[in-house]
Amino acid sequence: MSAKKENLQINPGEPVGAIAAQSIGEPGTQMVLRTFHFAGIASAVTTGLPRVTELLDAKKVPAGPLITIYLNSEAKNNFAKAEEITKKISEIKASEIVRRAVENFSKGKITLIVNEQALKAVEMTSRQLAGIIKSKFSVDTDIDEEGNIEISAHTKKLREIRELAVKIMKSTVRGIEGAGRAMISQDQKTKEFFVMSAGTNVKDIMELEGVDKSRIYSNDVFEMNRIFGIEAARNGLIRELLKTFEDQGISISVRHLQLIADGMTFSGVIKGNSRRGIIADKESVFARAAFEETVKHLINAAAFGEQDRLNGVTENILIGKQIPLGTGSIKLAVKSGKEAKPKEGKEGKESKEK
Amino acid sequence: MAKSGAKAQEKVYVLLNGRIIGHISEPEAFANEIRQGRRNGVISGEVNISYDAKLNEIHINADRGRVRKPYIIVENSKSKFTKEIQDRLEKKEIDFNYLTRNGIVEFLDAEEEENALVAFTENDITDKTTHLEIDPAGIYGFSVNSSPFPENNAGPRVLTTANYLKQAQGLYASNFNVRYDSRAHLLFYPQKPMITTTAYESAGMAKRASGQNFIVASTTYYGYNMLDAIVVNKAAVDRGLGRSMFYKTYTDEERRYAGGQKDIFKIPAATSEGYLGEHAYSKLGEDGVIEPEFEVEEGDVLIGKTAPPRFLEENLGAGGIEAKTRDDSSVLKAGDKGVVDSAIFTETTGATRVVKVRIRSLKIPEVGDKFASRHGQKGVIALIVPEEDMPFTESGIIPDLLFNPEGTPSRMTQGHLLEMLGAKAVGLTGIRADGTPFAASGRKRMEEYEKVLDSHGYDKYGEETLYDGITGRPFKAKLFTGIAYYMKLYRMSSNLLQVRSRGSVQILTHQPTEGKARQGGLRFGEMERDVLVAYGASLLLKERMLDQSDKAQVYICTECGSTAYYDYAKHISICPICHSNKSVTMEISYAFKLLLDEIKSLHIDPSISISR
Repeated sequence: MSAKKENLQINPGEPVGAIAAQSIGEPGTQMVLRTFHFAGIASAVTTGLPRVTELLDAKKVPAGPLITIYLNSEAKNNFAKAEEITKKISEIKASEIVRRAVENFSKGKITLIVNEQALKAVEMTSRQLAGIIKSKFSVDTDIDEEGNIEISAHTKKLREIRELAVKIMKSTVRGIEGAGRAMISQDQKTKEFFVMSAGTNVKDIMELEGVDKSRIYSNDVFEMNRIFGIEAARNGLIRELLKTFEDQGISISVRHLQLIADGMTFSGVIKGNSRRGIIADKESVFARAAFEETVKHLINAAAFGEQDRLNGVTENILIGKQIPLGTGSIKLAVKSGKEAKPKEGKEGKESKEK
Repeated sequence: MAKSGAKAQEKVYVLLNGRIIGHISEPEAFANEIRQGRRNGVISGEVNISYDAKLNEIHINADRGRVRKPYIIVENSKSKFTKEIQDRLEKKEIDFNYLTRNGIVEFLDAEEEENALVAFTENDITDKTTHLEIDPAGIYGFSVNSSPFPENNAGPRVLTTANYLKQAQGLYASNFNVRYDSRAHLLFYPQKPMITTTAYESAGMAKRASGQNFIVASTTYYGYNMLDAIVVNKAAVDRGLGRSMFYKTYTDEERRYAGGQKDIFKIPAATSEGYLGEHAYSKLGEDGVIEPEFEVEEGDVLIGKTAPPRFLEENLGAGGIEAKTRDDSSVLKAGDKGVVDSAIFTETTGATRVVKVRIRSLKIPEVGDKFASRHGQKGVIALIVPEEDMPFTESGIIPDLLFNPEGTPSRMTQGHLLEMLGAKAVGLTGIRADGTPFAASGRKRMEEYEKVLDSHGYDKYGEETLYDGITGRPFKAKLFTGIAYYMKLYRMSSNLLQVRSRGSVQILTHQPTEGKARQGGLRFGEMERDVLVAYGASLLLKERMLDQSDKAQVYICTECGSTAYYDYAKHISICPICHSNKSVTMEISYAFKLLLDEIKSLHIDPSISISR
């Protein structure tokens, strides 16, 4: 056991970062852009290489957000209750149930032509819709014989009427704003019901009754950071990366992903593997210049008289020194008296001044 | 047909050779009328008309440069090419031109094809069919048509075959001896394939074949033919299998320059600039051109030539002294080797003399040479085995080539197996078989070959018991053995081989040059670098990136940190900035020194501070 433990220990000077990068990069070349199509909400989630890039570059807005909402002990085995919660979450926008908004500028009125089929599908009536709009925008509403909603805008300014019409069409009339379409699902193993929602807004969903706050999960790492903190975001990153690779049949040791997630989150905010993210934090001028925007970094270094202490890998390869990693990480601690006379000062420091 | 839009329905524009000439209202009827006129001979047969329903335009094209293909016309679900016409054609009463003139066959271009529904065979004709393929094989181009059984192979393999056919060495031209192609390959004993196609025969390809019939056994050989490698019989190679000649021509011209000066073909004088030394010119004749049948190697001069100096002033030195010249001889390129085949003098239209020297070199198959069958099955020779070590059949036949059967299932080249089987049957009967695409079904062909093999006492599936040449014991399994037509492709290892241990460097960066022509090295790139970093091999990495690349010794002033220089006369180092004599030497990459220099050129002063 102890022998095995020793075997698993990483030696000092082991270039773990380069190994992690290669361990992800090599199987990454085999990833296919072809996405598997799932039924329902999950089909909107990005998979494969685009998802990996999205995560590693720390894109603020993910292309396919998905919240998994678990229910508390009361609701998780009760389909009716679960469905009720789903309905509360599922976001319906006015534009989905209204065909179009006809503006009458001379009378200061907006007529919403209702799509009756869509209305029926979400189990709503024109009256209910009118009530919601009335309270939300503080306007007077009326319903004509065809079920269309007439809105008095209390103004005759063209601009205000148009803006109101657009606002009404964009507004959420039921469900939680930003939560997206929600769907009920059942876990294959535990047979419990849970809800999946193709949106963000975890905060408002958490406040709903019947939702298990301790298990709610969003695949948007920035949202996880905002609500649960950086540790949750780190775990989310690892989980999402691992899942994306596993969906393609690629198994990567989680340690590599942990290292990369650590690198991206240790500063307290999520930083991508890009020139604006963790590369920008590099100490060395040369290492930054070697990555991207060479001229910008050199000019800034000159303007501020930066020093390069040559502690990293890239800059040492660049000038032709042994890298301080692996076999190069061992240095002489004490030189004996006889040889103490400096032969050749190889330890170079690089400074630039204007 | 009236070109009026009187009905004011939808206007359909008519474009003649891409230009709008008017509009009509009934496009289909209009197009059909033009087509009828073409078939009746009222309109030239070279006119093509197409109606594009999407664009709602009629395109009439009669200009040059369109690729057109002949089809048999079908009217009322009946082919115009009737039995009667076929008989008359066979009796030579009529010819192909008769068919085109009398509305039996017409040529369609790419655009008109979009309006046609072409039946593959006569049985496929329906009431919507407008044309009939003259031969089902017509769906393929010439390259595919000249390989056998393409319809039995997977599509991508058929396309690769078409590519390999173009790379095959053969008898490329019968006047090769008087031609001076810059590069030419000539196969020594080209053979006609045992299975040919109609297109192959009618194009006369059999008279200038580009391959040989190899006896092939489908088996492995001690792992030497893994992954597209092939094992070849040494005795067969010695008998001339796959042997070819490579010709390369070097050309040079006596150019004329402004000021009445010109190049002269001659052995350059030892005083000329860039003189390569007496030895290099020893094979040249009096006219400055190498004599035929000399063996030449890398660095030998083929054409001696002197050129006037690059700058005129050089020539205006002290009067009376012999004019300075520059050596501009043609030297055999790196890696080339051979015998001078012939050298000729000729002239350009500008009446300047031109010399062409043709080098020939014998290319005996060796490890690394590329071969391919006609089914997209390429392979590189990995081992040439002495005859006695090759497996042999019961009757003592030793295969020329061992093909790894692993290459067949994933690539789905059933045509390759069919060819091996068929050619084996052809070898027994002596009657060449036909492999024209779609001429018969694969099963029918297979049954035919099986019958022949069976009647000659062979296993009807082409399998034979083979004996290991090394142990003499029979293999447990019977092995599929047959004959396949293999082509020697022009990518031969002797022309591609290149090594470098040390050599020239680039002027700007002091890093090794790149590319075979410049005796270059192979780039140790970013990803390769990452591998050494990840392994932690820091000294190996330093050796690659510095010692074996652009190592430079630089003096660094310890006072101000700028680059200093060494004065060898005074034996001290001098800093040009602070005039200090204290400095240390540093080994840095030249690329870094260049970076420092370029930064300095931007009026930024970089300095290196030395600790300890």
